[in-house]
Amino acid sequence: MSMVYINIFLAFTLSFMGLLIYRSHLMSSLLCLEGMMLSLFIMMTVTILVNHFTLASMAPIVLLVFAACEAALGLSLLVMVSNTYGTDYVQNLNLLQC
Amino acid sequence: MMTYIVFILSVIFVVSFVGFSSKPSPIYGGLVLIVSGAVGCGIVLSFGGSFLGLMVFLIYLGGMLVVFGYTTAMATEQYPEVWVSNKAVLGAFIVGLLSELLTACYILKGDDVEVEVVLKFNGAGDWVIYDTGDSGFFSEEAMGIAALYSYGTWLVIVTGWSLLIGVLVIMEVTRGN
Repeated sequence: MSMVYINIFLAFTLSFMGLLIYRSHLMSSLLCLEGMMLSLFIMMTVTILVNHFTLASMAPIVLLVFAACEAALGLSLLVMVSNTYGTDYVQNLNLLQC
Repeated sequence: MMTYIVFILSVIFVVSFVGFSSKPSPIYGGLVLIVSGAVGCGIVLSFGGSFLGLMVFLIYLGGMLVVFGYTTAMATEQYPEVWVSNKAVLGAFIVGLLSELLTACYILKGDDVEVEVVLKFNGAGDWVIYDTGDSGFFSEEAMGIAALYSYGTWLVIVTGWSLLIGVLVIMEVTRGN
């Protein structure tokens, strides 16, 4: 298998780490989620094109549809947080006080 | 050098991923994500997938990232952080960059390097697609995507329904109260 897969897998792992280790903005975590979806799309497309797996070419498009759904939902939650608190800082999400 | 063009594009892909994963202010992260989307489209185009590369540009960059862009413009701060203005961001960027450069140098150093993680990876210049036969006058990948409407009718129904439900859910979420 080609070495290109190592780089794309490394990109997925990097944005996964970026999603888990958050700083101040909720928006940067959503951007890292988008990066994960992009690297998955590229990996799926390259595998399908190299192996001539013709009938599976519809799978990246379906992945893009569901990624768009999830991005829109995440953005709507961010908009509601920003409407309530003024900014989208993660430290504002502190209603649970154990 | 042209045999390694796909590998170089994937290195630029990883470097731009490091750029937004080190989390500067979201507006700069969005800019770097646009660059990585364009480079990813280049990787797909190098393997002959012209329709799917166009999909990346139109749907992903032109649709989703534009929405991210103006949402970020709505919820941003007065002095956005660049990569050099904060030591945590700069440190994360340098660490990611160094790890990617080490990997790339190790791969490009020898002709027969072999990495075994779960599968065996070898051949950095191995960008030629294994050709089994001739595919006539049509593009295989475009025919596979066109099969979405004949063999994948149920997929179309499920994705269309989930998009409709997603719109309704978002309208309920943003109504508040």
